[in-house]
Amino acid sequence: MEILASLEHSAFSVWVKESGSIFAYPGILFMHTIGLGLLVGANTAINLRILGVARRMSLAPMESFLPVMWLGFWINAVSGSILFVADATTKLANPAFAVKMGCIALAVVNIFLIRRYVFRDPGLDRGPVPAIGKVLAVTSLLLWTGAITAGRLMAYLGQDSGAPEFINHIGG
Amino acid sequence: MLPFANWIHGTTVGWAVGGGVPWIWPACETLHFIGLALLVGCVGVFDLRLLGMAKGLQVEPLQRLMPWGIAGFVINFITGVMFFAGDPYQYINNTAFWMKMLFIGLAGANVMAFYAMGLNRRVEAIGAGEDAPTLAKIVAAVSLASWLGVVFWGRMMPFLGTSF
Repeated sequence: MEILASLEHSAFSVWVKESGSIFAYPGILFMHTIGLGLLVGANTAINLRILGVARRMSLAPMESFLPVMWLGFWINAVSGSILFVADATTKLANPAFAVKMGCIALAVVNIFLIRRYVFRDPGLDRGPVPAIGKVLAVTSLLLWTGAITAGRLMAYLGQDSGAPEFINHIGG
Repeated sequence: MLPFANWIHGTTVGWAVGGGVPWIWPACETLHFIGLALLVGCVGVFDLRLLGMAKGLQVEPLQRLMPWGIAGFVINFITGVMFFAGDPYQYINNTAFWMKMLFIGLAGANVMAFYAMGLNRRVEAIGAGEDAPTLAKIVAAVSLASWLGVVFWGRMMPFLGTSF
Protein backbone atom coordinates (compact mmCIF):
# COMPACT_ATOMS: atom_id res chain seq x y z
CA MET A 1 0.00 0.00 0.00
CA GLU A 2 2.88 2.36 0.74
CA ILE A 3 4.26 1.84 -2.74
CA LEU A 4 0.85 2.61 -4.21
CA ALA A 5 0.53 5.74 -2.11
CA SER A 6 3.96 6.97 -3.20
CA LEU A 7 3.11 6.26 -6.86
CA GLU A 8 -0.12 8.17 -6.39
CA HIS A 9 1.78 11.18 -5.07
CA SER A 10 4.57 11.07 -7.67
CA ALA A 11 5.14 14.09 -9.87
CA PHE A 12 3.78 12.13 -12.84
CA SER A 13 0.52 11.24 -11.07
CA VAL A 14 0.09 14.83 -9.95
CA TRP A 15 0.62 15.97 -13.57
CA VAL A 16 -1.96 13.45 -14.80
CA LYS A 17 -4.58 14.57 -12.31
CA GLU A 18 -3.89 18.22 -11.71
CA SER A 19 -2.04 19.78 -14.64
CA GLY A 20 -5.26 20.55 -16.49
CA SER A 21 -3.47 19.63 -19.73
CA ILE A 22 -5.63 18.01 -22.40
CA PHE A 23 -2.84 15.43 -22.84
CA ALA A 24 -3.04 14.42 -19.18
CA TYR A 25 -6.25 12.97 -17.72
CA PRO A 26 -8.61 13.76 -20.65
CA GLY A 27 -6.18 12.52 -23.32
CA ILE A 28 -5.40 9.31 -21.44
CA LEU A 29 -9.10 8.64 -20.87
CA PHE A 30 -9.69 9.21 -24.61
CA MET A 31 -6.96 6.69 -25.47
CA HIS A 32 -8.58 4.24 -23.04
CA THR A 33 -11.89 4.61 -24.90
CA ILE A 34 -10.22 4.19 -28.32
CA GLY A 35 -8.53 1.04 -27.01
CA LEU A 36 -11.92 -0.22 -25.85
CA GLY A 37 -13.38 0.37 -29.31
CA LEU A 38 -10.53 -1.48 -31.04
CA LEU A 39 -10.36 -4.36 -28.57
CA VAL A 40 -14.01 -5.03 -27.78
CA GLY A 41 -15.18 -3.81 -31.20
CA ALA A 42 -13.01 -6.17 -33.27
CA ASN A 43 -13.69 -8.90 -30.73
CA THR A 44 -17.47 -8.44 -31.09
CA ALA A 45 -17.29 -8.66 -34.89
CA ILE A 46 -15.22 -11.88 -34.69
CA ASN A 47 -17.56 -13.41 -32.10
CA LEU A 48 -20.68 -12.53 -34.11
CA ARG A 49 -19.16 -14.27 -37.14
CA ILE A 50 -18.32 -17.34 -35.02
CA LEU A 51 -21.93 -17.37 -33.81
CA GLY A 52 -23.18 -17.46 -37.39
CA VAL A 53 -23.72 -13.82 -38.47
CA ALA A 54 -22.49 -13.37 -42.08
CA ARG A 55 -21.88 -17.13 -42.23
CA ARG A 56 -21.56 -17.14 -46.04
CA MET A 57 -18.24 -15.38 -45.61
CA SER A 58 -15.16 -17.40 -44.65
CA LEU A 59 -14.09 -17.08 -41.03
CA ALA A 60 -10.34 -17.62 -41.49
CA PRO A 61 -9.58 -14.06 -42.75
CA MET A 62 -11.20 -12.64 -39.58
CA GLU A 63 -7.98 -13.71 -37.83
CA SER A 64 -6.41 -10.58 -39.40
CA PHE A 65 -8.42 -8.57 -36.88
CA LEU A 66 -6.68 -10.22 -33.90
CA PRO A 67 -3.74 -7.74 -34.19
CA VAL A 68 -6.33 -4.91 -34.08
CA MET A 69 -7.57 -6.40 -30.79
CA TRP A 70 -4.06 -6.66 -29.41
CA LEU A 71 -3.33 -3.06 -30.42
CA GLY A 72 -6.43 -2.03 -28.45
CA PHE A 73 -5.38 -4.25 -25.57
CA TRP A 74 -1.93 -2.67 -25.26
CA ILE A 75 -3.26 0.88 -25.64
CA ASN A 76 -5.56 0.08 -22.72
CA ALA A 77 -2.94 -1.73 -20.66
CA VAL A 78 -0.73 1.38 -20.84
CA SER A 79 -3.46 4.02 -20.47
CA GLY A 80 -5.15 1.91 -17.78
CA SER A 81 -1.92 1.57 -15.81
CA ILE A 82 -1.49 5.35 -15.87
CA LEU A 83 -5.08 5.91 -14.73
CA PHE A 84 -4.55 3.29 -12.01
CA VAL A 85 -1.28 4.75 -10.72
CA ALA A 86 -2.82 8.22 -10.58
CA ASP A 87 -5.51 6.92 -8.22
CA ALA A 88 -3.98 3.68 -6.95
CA THR A 89 -5.34 3.51 -3.41
CA THR A 90 -8.91 4.56 -4.32
CA LYS A 91 -9.07 2.25 -7.34
CA LEU A 92 -7.75 -0.72 -5.37
CA ALA A 93 -10.41 -0.17 -2.73
CA ASN A 94 -13.16 -0.06 -5.38
CA PRO A 95 -14.97 -3.43 -5.59
CA ALA A 96 -15.81 -2.82 -9.26
CA PHE A 97 -12.08 -2.57 -10.08
CA ALA A 98 -11.43 -6.16 -8.96
CA VAL A 99 -14.41 -7.39 -10.98
CA LYS A 100 -13.13 -5.51 -14.05
CA MET A 101 -9.61 -6.98 -13.72
CA GLY A 102 -11.04 -10.49 -13.21
CA CYS A 103 -13.21 -10.18 -16.34
CA ILE A 104 -10.26 -8.91 -18.40
CA ALA A 105 -7.94 -11.72 -17.23
CA LEU A 106 -10.50 -14.36 -18.20
CA ALA A 107 -11.34 -12.56 -21.47
CA VAL A 108 -7.65 -12.56 -22.47
CA VAL A 109 -7.42 -16.30 -21.80
CA ASN A 110 -10.58 -16.59 -23.91
CA ILE A 111 -8.82 -14.88 -26.87
CA PHE A 112 -6.09 -17.54 -26.80
CA LEU A 113 -8.69 -20.31 -26.55
CA ILE A 114 -10.58 -18.89 -29.56
CA ARG A 115 -7.34 -18.82 -31.54
CA ARG A 116 -6.66 -22.41 -30.60
CA TYR A 117 -10.13 -23.93 -30.97
CA VAL A 118 -11.51 -21.79 -33.80
CA PHE A 119 -8.72 -20.33 -35.96
CA ARG A 120 -6.32 -23.31 -35.51
CA ASP A 121 -9.11 -25.85 -36.08
CA PRO A 122 -8.13 -27.90 -39.16
CA GLY A 123 -11.82 -28.08 -40.10
CA LEU A 124 -12.15 -24.27 -40.14
CA ASP A 125 -14.52 -23.07 -42.92
CA ARG A 126 -15.20 -26.65 -44.00
CA GLY A 127 -18.35 -26.91 -41.92
CA PRO A 128 -20.15 -25.21 -39.06
CA VAL A 129 -18.04 -23.91 -36.16
CA PRO A 130 -17.86 -26.62 -33.46
CA ALA A 131 -19.86 -26.08 -30.28
CA ILE A 132 -16.75 -25.23 -28.25
CA GLY A 133 -16.04 -22.29 -30.57
CA LYS A 134 -19.58 -20.97 -30.12
CA VAL A 135 -19.39 -21.37 -26.34
CA LEU A 136 -16.09 -19.42 -26.35
CA ALA A 137 -17.66 -16.66 -28.47
CA VAL A 138 -20.53 -16.33 -25.96
CA THR A 139 -18.20 -16.30 -22.93
CA SER A 140 -16.01 -13.72 -24.68
CA LEU A 141 -18.99 -11.41 -25.31
CA LEU A 142 -20.17 -11.84 -21.70
CA LEU A 143 -16.70 -11.21 -20.21
CA TRP A 144 -16.12 -8.02 -22.20
CA THR A 145 -19.62 -6.81 -21.36
CA GLY A 146 -18.75 -7.50 -17.72
CA ALA A 147 -15.44 -5.62 -18.02
CA ILE A 148 -17.13 -2.57 -19.59
CA THR A 149 -19.94 -2.61 -17.02
CA ALA A 150 -17.57 -2.90 -14.05
CA GLY A 151 -15.31 -0.23 -15.58
CA ARG A 152 -18.18 2.22 -15.96
CA LEU A 153 -19.49 1.49 -12.48
CA MET A 154 -16.07 2.29 -10.97
CA ALA A 155 -17.05 5.95 -11.38
CA TYR A 156 -20.19 5.43 -9.29
CA LEU A 157 -19.23 2.78 -6.70
CA GLY A 158 -16.67 3.33 -4.01
CA GLN A 159 -14.94 6.63 -3.36
CA ASP A 160 -14.80 9.39 -5.92
CA SER A 161 -11.76 9.20 -8.11
CA GLY A 162 -10.58 10.95 -11.22
CA ALA A 163 -9.03 14.30 -11.85
CA PRO A 164 -10.21 16.90 -9.35
CA GLU A 165 -9.36 19.62 -11.87
CA PHE A 166 -12.21 18.43 -14.02
CA ILE A 167 -15.86 17.78 -13.44
CA ASN A 168 -15.81 14.08 -14.12
CA HIS A 169 -19.53 13.66 -14.45
CA ILE A 170 -21.02 13.53 -17.91
CA GLY A 171 -19.79 11.11 -20.50
CA GLY A 172 -16.85 10.29 -18.32
CA MET B 1 -32.57 25.47 -27.74
CA LEU B 2 -33.53 26.55 -24.24
CA PRO B 3 -37.30 25.95 -24.65
CA PHE B 4 -36.55 22.44 -25.96
CA ALA B 5 -34.17 21.83 -23.04
CA ASN B 6 -36.83 22.99 -20.59
CA TRP B 7 -39.46 20.79 -22.19
CA ILE B 8 -37.38 17.59 -22.34
CA HIS B 9 -36.09 18.12 -18.81
CA GLY B 10 -39.69 18.35 -17.64
CA THR B 11 -40.67 14.97 -19.08
CA THR B 12 -40.81 11.81 -16.93
CA VAL B 13 -37.66 10.56 -18.66
CA GLY B 14 -35.87 13.82 -17.83
CA TRP B 15 -36.92 13.52 -14.21
CA ALA B 16 -35.91 9.83 -13.92
CA VAL B 17 -32.50 10.19 -15.62
CA GLY B 18 -31.77 13.50 -13.90
CA GLY B 19 -31.65 11.86 -10.49
CA GLY B 20 -35.24 10.74 -9.86
CA VAL B 21 -34.16 7.13 -10.30
CA PRO B 22 -30.48 7.13 -9.30
CA TRP B 23 -29.37 3.90 -11.01
CA ILE B 24 -30.60 4.94 -14.46
CA TRP B 25 -27.68 7.29 -15.23
CA PRO B 26 -24.93 4.70 -14.54
CA ALA B 27 -26.94 2.03 -16.39
CA CYS B 28 -27.24 4.30 -19.44
CA GLU B 29 -23.49 5.08 -19.27
CA THR B 30 -22.75 1.34 -19.36
CA LEU B 31 -25.12 0.78 -22.29
CA HIS B 32 -23.60 3.80 -24.09
CA PHE B 33 -20.16 2.13 -23.98
CA ILE B 34 -21.52 -1.27 -25.03
CA GLY B 35 -23.24 0.50 -27.94
CA LEU B 36 -19.92 2.18 -28.76
CA ALA B 37 -18.17 -1.20 -28.99
CA LEU B 38 -20.94 -2.65 -31.21
CA LEU B 39 -21.02 0.38 -33.51
CA VAL B 40 -17.27 1.00 -33.82
CA GLY B 41 -16.54 -2.74 -34.00
CA CYS B 42 -18.97 -3.69 -36.75
CA VAL B 43 -18.59 -0.50 -38.80
CA GLY B 44 -14.82 -0.44 -38.22
CA VAL B 45 -14.30 -4.01 -39.42
CA PHE B 46 -16.28 -3.22 -42.59
CA ASP B 47 -14.24 -0.05 -43.19
CA LEU B 48 -10.94 -1.85 -42.58
CA ARG B 49 -11.90 -4.56 -45.09
CA LEU B 50 -12.65 -1.91 -47.74
CA LEU B 51 -9.26 -0.34 -46.96
CA GLY B 52 -7.56 -3.67 -47.66
CA MET B 53 -7.32 -5.47 -44.32
CA ALA B 54 -8.51 -9.12 -44.12
CA LYS B 55 -8.90 -9.14 -47.89
CA GLY B 56 -9.97 -12.78 -47.80
CA LEU B 57 -13.41 -11.60 -46.63
CA GLN B 58 -16.13 -11.31 -49.26
CA VAL B 59 -17.78 -7.92 -48.84
CA GLU B 60 -21.39 -8.85 -49.63
CA PRO B 61 -21.85 -11.20 -46.63
CA LEU B 62 -19.72 -8.92 -44.44
CA GLN B 63 -22.58 -6.41 -44.68
CA ARG B 64 -24.59 -8.79 -42.46
CA LEU B 65 -22.62 -7.34 -39.56
CA MET B 66 -24.08 -3.91 -40.28
CA PRO B 67 -27.43 -4.42 -38.48
CA TRP B 68 -25.40 -5.05 -35.30
CA GLY B 69 -23.52 -1.80 -35.82
CA ILE B 70 -26.84 -0.01 -36.40
CA ALA B 71 -28.15 -1.62 -33.18
CA GLY B 72 -25.16 -0.07 -31.40
CA PHE B 73 -26.02 3.32 -32.89
CA VAL B 74 -29.68 3.00 -31.82
CA ILE B 75 -28.63 2.07 -28.24
CA ASN B 76 -26.37 5.11 -28.15
CA PHE B 77 -28.94 7.43 -29.70
CA ILE B 78 -31.55 6.43 -27.11
CA THR B 79 -29.18 6.58 -24.12
CA GLY B 80 -27.75 9.84 -25.51
CA VAL B 81 -31.20 11.45 -25.66
CA MET B 82 -31.79 10.19 -22.10
CA PHE B 83 -28.57 11.89 -20.85
CA PHE B 84 -29.68 15.08 -22.58
CA ALA B 85 -33.15 14.88 -21.03
CA GLY B 86 -31.67 14.23 -17.59
CA ASP B 87 -29.42 17.28 -17.58
CA PRO B 88 -29.86 19.34 -20.78
CA TYR B 89 -28.28 22.50 -19.38
CA GLN B 90 -24.81 20.93 -19.14
CA TYR B 91 -24.92 20.12 -22.85
CA ILE B 92 -26.53 23.04 -24.63
CA ASN B 93 -23.63 25.39 -23.98
CA ASN B 94 -20.92 22.72 -24.23
CA THR B 95 -18.69 23.13 -27.30
CA ALA B 96 -17.53 19.50 -27.16
CA PHE B 97 -21.17 18.31 -27.23
CA TRP B 98 -21.89 20.28 -30.41
CA MET B 99 -18.63 19.07 -31.98
CA LYS B 100 -19.72 15.51 -31.19
CA MET B 101 -23.09 16.16 -32.89
CA LEU B 102 -21.24 17.65 -35.87
CA PHE B 103 -19.09 14.53 -36.22
CA ILE B 104 -22.16 12.26 -35.93
CA GLY B 105 -23.69 14.35 -38.73
CA LEU B 106 -20.51 13.93 -40.76
CA ALA B 107 -20.57 10.15 -40.26
CA GLY B 108 -24.25 10.12 -41.29
CA ALA B 109 -23.64 12.24 -44.40
CA ASN B 110 -20.78 9.88 -45.30
CA VAL B 111 -23.10 6.85 -45.10
CA MET B 112 -25.65 8.69 -47.28
CA ALA B 113 -22.91 9.52 -49.81
CA PHE B 114 -21.96 5.81 -49.86
CA TYR B 115 -25.50 4.90 -50.92
CA ALA B 116 -26.09 7.94 -53.14
CA MET B 117 -22.99 7.14 -55.19
CA GLY B 118 -24.15 3.53 -55.54
CA LEU B 119 -21.02 2.32 -53.76
CA ASN B 120 -23.06 -0.12 -51.67
CA ARG B 121 -23.86 -2.09 -54.84
CA ARG B 122 -20.34 -1.74 -56.24
CA VAL B 123 -18.69 -3.12 -53.09
CA GLU B 124 -21.10 -6.08 -52.95
CA ALA B 125 -19.32 -7.50 -55.96
CA ILE B 126 -15.95 -7.53 -54.17
CA GLY B 127 -14.92 -11.14 -53.67
CA ALA B 128 -12.20 -12.72 -51.55
CA GLY B 129 -8.80 -11.21 -52.27
CA GLU B 130 -10.18 -8.32 -54.35
CA ASP B 131 -9.48 -4.65 -53.85
CA ALA B 132 -12.19 -2.03 -53.19
CA PRO B 133 -12.55 0.95 -55.58
CA THR B 134 -10.68 4.09 -54.49
CA LEU B 135 -13.91 5.99 -53.86
CA ALA B 136 -15.08 3.26 -51.44
CA LYS B 137 -11.71 3.45 -49.67
CA ILE B 138 -12.11 7.19 -49.24
CA VAL B 139 -15.61 6.72 -47.76
CA ALA B 140 -14.23 4.01 -45.42
CA ALA B 141 -11.40 6.28 -44.26
CA VAL B 142 -13.81 9.20 -43.68
CA SER B 143 -16.06 6.83 -41.71
CA LEU B 144 -13.20 5.71 -39.41
CA ALA B 145 -12.04 9.31 -38.96
CA SER B 146 -15.51 10.62 -38.16
CA TRP B 147 -16.28 7.91 -35.55
CA LEU B 148 -12.86 8.61 -34.01
CA GLY B 149 -13.95 12.25 -33.83
CA VAL B 150 -17.27 11.29 -32.23
CA VAL B 151 -15.46 9.31 -29.51
CA PHE B 152 -12.93 12.12 -29.01
CA TRP B 153 -15.51 14.87 -28.54
CA GLY B 154 -17.69 12.60 -26.42
CA ARG B 155 -14.78 12.01 -24.10
CA MET B 156 -13.93 15.70 -24.01
CA MET B 157 -17.43 16.79 -22.95
CA PRO B 158 -16.64 16.82 -19.22
CA PHE B 159 -13.31 18.55 -19.80
CA LEU B 160 -13.68 21.08 -22.60
CA GLY B 161 -16.17 23.71 -23.52
CA THR B 162 -18.04 25.79 -21.02
CA SER B 163 -17.90 24.77 -17.43
CA PHE B 164 -21.06 23.42 -15.92
